[in-house]
Parts: sequence; structure tokens; C-alpha cells
Amino acid sequence: MTAAPLAAVRAPWPVQTALVTRRWLVDGVRMPWGLGVSVIQPVVWIVLFGSVFKAVTQVPGFGHASYLTFLVPGILMMTMLYSGAWAGTGFIDDIRSGVMDRLLSSPVSRSALVAGQLVQQLLLSLVQGGVLLLIGWAAGARYAGGPGGMGIALAASLLLAAAFCSVSAAVALTARDQTALIGISTLVVLPATFLSTALMPVALLPHWVEATARFNPLTWATEIARTAMSASVDSGVVVTRGLLLLALATVTYAWSVAAMRSYQRSL
Amino acid sequence: MPSTLAVEAHGLVKTYPGRRGRPPVQALDGLDLAVPAGTVHGLLGPNGAGKTTTTKVLTTLSAATAGTAKVAGHDVSRDADAVRRAIGYVSQGTGADPLLTPRENLVMAARLRGAGRAAADERARELLARMGLHDEAGRRTSTLSGGTRRKLDVALGLVDAPRVLFLDEPTTGLDPEARASMWQEIRSLAADDEVTVLLTTHYLEEADRLADAVSIVDHGRVVATGSPVALKADIGAASLEDVYLHHAGRAWDAEAIR
Repeated sequence: MTAAPLAAVRAPWPVQTALVTRRWLVDGVRMPWGLGVSVIQPVVWIVLFGSVFKAVTQVPGFGHASYLTFLVPGILMMTMLYSGAWAGTGFIDDIRSGVMDRLLSSPVSRSALVAGQLVQQLLLSLVQGGVLLLIGWAAGARYAGGPGGMGIALAASLLLAAAFCSVSAAVALTARDQTALIGISTLVVLPATFLSTALMPVALLPHWVEATARFNPLTWATEIARTAMSASVDSGVVVTRGLLLLALATVTYAWSVAAMRSYQRSL
Repeated sequence: MPSTLAVEAHGLVKTYPGRRGRPPVQALDGLDLAVPAGTVHGLLGPNGAGKTTTTKVLTTLSAATAGTAKVAGHDVSRDADAVRRAIGYVSQGTGADPLLTPRENLVMAARLRGAGRAAADERARELLARMGLHDEAGRRTSTLSGGTRRKLDVALGLVDAPRVLFLDEPTTGLDPEARASMWQEIRSLAADDEVTVLLTTHYLEEADRLADAVSIVDHGRVVATGSPVALKADIGAASLEDVYLHHAGRAWDAEAIR
């Protein structure tokens, strides 16, 4: 044999995860239209929703002086929801091309394959979120909570993104079909948006929507961002909703790793 | 010829559960296999015969429903990680990320297997040179021709100096020149590098020319095994088509699906 095996032990889990993250980051940079759309989309939402619902501040019970200031935290979380819903498409591409077979027949940790892609998605989400807050500010929204409040809002957005990216990965690894993933994502994402407080305060929602919105992770994340970026932070909301999002992200990540193992068992 | 077995399988059964009211599919039905180390062994059969399923079980991608198998001395179900360290797998699809360059694909594969940055760079350089990919090393994989991509797939399979290399239909879709080049590389792997090559193919000519021994797979079982010369001599056949007709009871049809 002319060449020797590369290493006596496989790469540690964090190194494998970082390598997988790097691969997806490079892939993302080489598909610039994807990055462009992910930044343009929330800007369109701010303009559209900001214009259409502008007059809502005059409705009794709205309780906020500026709809844009009210709207930006909601759009931030909607962005996480919509971006996260597509996260699984990369796995389907890998399954179809044969990349997944090569990776699974090598001594690579299955959870590193899932975690590496999730970290890439979260880095992308962080950039998206930061850009969105800047654009919102430029459009006229104001964040009385300052940098600390913005930091809390971004942290909440990452927990929400982690949960939805993981769900998308799990669905992708189970359905293994782009059309199915798109269909399921559309089915979930649009109702989740309108059954939350992302666009309207809870006081203006019909009773049954209000009751449903309480159990919606989009509402939890939006409430954190809204209070954190306001002049008076309700730490109870930040802690309770934050713990709920953390629990959801943990459970959905475990589901996505289980889906990867289940995918292999089905081969 | 070395006497150690690089691959051995006994009574492999693989049953896929039926979906949407369809009956279960028995892809392997008691398959036995013995491949001496350092040889090229052809798994021969039409589409749907069970060749790819055999490869998936032996590469630990898929778990057998029953039976046992060892690759490079390790049990595929009890010691899957040791098997994965000892093998390279080139699937029917491409194993390379189309948006990365050949060099990036190779470096990443080497690093995932535990190589440091310098060692991974060095291994990538060696394999790019060996497979004649030096000029394409920095181009996006998606822009490469089919033959060049297939060479990259083989290079990815060789990244960790495997003792056993699984090649699943390595020349499907290649033009005659690219196919001849691939055959030369496969011969060199066994002859010069002592790599055991398990080659699945539905090209009888490929098996006849390349393999030290072939196993004819039909309906999930090996119905005949031996060197192409011996298999033909045993029944006085002129070609492997005739050998297939004799053992499978029907004429060779590469596209046949069970």
C-alpha cells in the first residue's frame, strides 16, 4: 500500500461539526442569490406590512405609538421561521446526489452532520437578524432597549431558528422529497404567522386566535424581542418564553438527529 | 493469490417492508460471498438483482435482516465504525459536493476522517496527481465532465488509504476513453496498492476484463462464483453472457428489474 491511513482516531466531534459547518457556509456563499433573497425578503415584508397596517396605531387598544417599532420584532421572528423552514433542502440534495451515502459510510458522527448544518443556519440567521434590525432602524423603528435589548432579541431569534431548522431537517430526512418539504413547510409557516402576535397585538386578535397564539413559538420569540427592545423590559417574559424556546430547540434538535439515524436504518 | 478474506458474507438476507399496501421486497435472499484480499471481485447481475443492496450492507449503510458479514476482518453490524475506517465507497451517484472544488472535497473528506490540515492537503495533492485531476483541482465540481467527476469520486473513495474499496457501477455513463482510463486505475489499485476492490457492474465485458473472480447475483443470491475463465471453461461457454444464461436460466438483460 503506498499511502497510509490518515489517523488512528477519527476527528473529535467539534472538529467534525466545524468542518460540516464550513462546507455549508462555502456552499451558501457560492449561491449568492440565496443569500440575497434571505436579506431582501424581510425588507419587502417591512415595507409591505408597514404600509398596509400603518393605520392600526389609531385603533383603540393597539397600545403602541409606532407600528414599525411594533412590527420589526415580529418580522425578525417571521424571517427565522421562513428561513428555517427551508433548511432541510440541503439534506435532500445530499441524499439525491450520493453525498449522504459517502458520508454515512465513513466514520463521521451522525449528530455532527446535523449539528454542522444547524450551526451554519444559525450563523446565517444571525447575519439576517442583524441586517434586519439595521434596516428597521433606518426605516424609522426605534429600539429603546438599546444594544442589550437587541442582543436578547437576536438570541431569542436564534432559538426559534434552531427549532425550525431542526424540524425542517427532520422532515427532510423523513420525507426525502423537496416537494413534500415545501408543501409541509408552507402548510405550517403561513398559519403560524397569522396565529401569532407577530403582526398584531394580542388585544386585537379574535379570541380563538389569541388562545392559539399563546402556544405558538413565534409568539414566544416575538414577545421576548418586543419587551427586550422596549424601554421597560419584562424579565419574566424573557425568562419564561426563553426557557420554552430553549426546550423546544433541544427537543427538535434531538428529533433531527434521530431522523438522521432513522434515515440510515431505512436504507 | 493471498488467502486472507477481505470480504466474507454468509446467508445475507435483506427485506424491505412493503409500503402503501405493496408486499415486502426481498432484495437479498441468503447471499454468500468470499473475496480474497488484494483481488478485484466483480458482483455481476442485472438491475434489481441485489448488487447495490449487497454493497450497502457491506459498507454499513444498510443493516441486513439476517446473516453475517465481515469486511477487513470486522463485523459489519457489531463493529461498523471499524469497517467504515477500513473502506472506501464510491456509490452510483456522485459523492462530491458540486459547489466545492475537487481539492476542497478531498481536503474535507480527509479532515473528517481525522487528518490535520497539512496531512489533508498532502493527501489531496497525492490523489489529484494520481487521478490526473491536477488541472481541474480548483474548478467547481459541478463544471467537470462526467469522466472527471467519476475520477474524483474514486479519489474520494481512496482518501483514507482503504483496505477494501467498493465501486458501485463506476463506469456507467462514461465514454469509451474515460472507461478505459478507469479500468486501468482499478487494475493498478489491486496490483500496485494491494487494495481489495469489490466492483458491482452490469457490464459483462468490464467484469470479464477486470475481475480476478466474479459472483453472479440473481434474485438476491449468488448463483455462480469463480474466475471468468473458470466459469466459462466449466460449461464450455464462450462468454459471460452464456455463463449467466446457464446459471440464471434466462438470457442476460442488464436492464431487467425484478
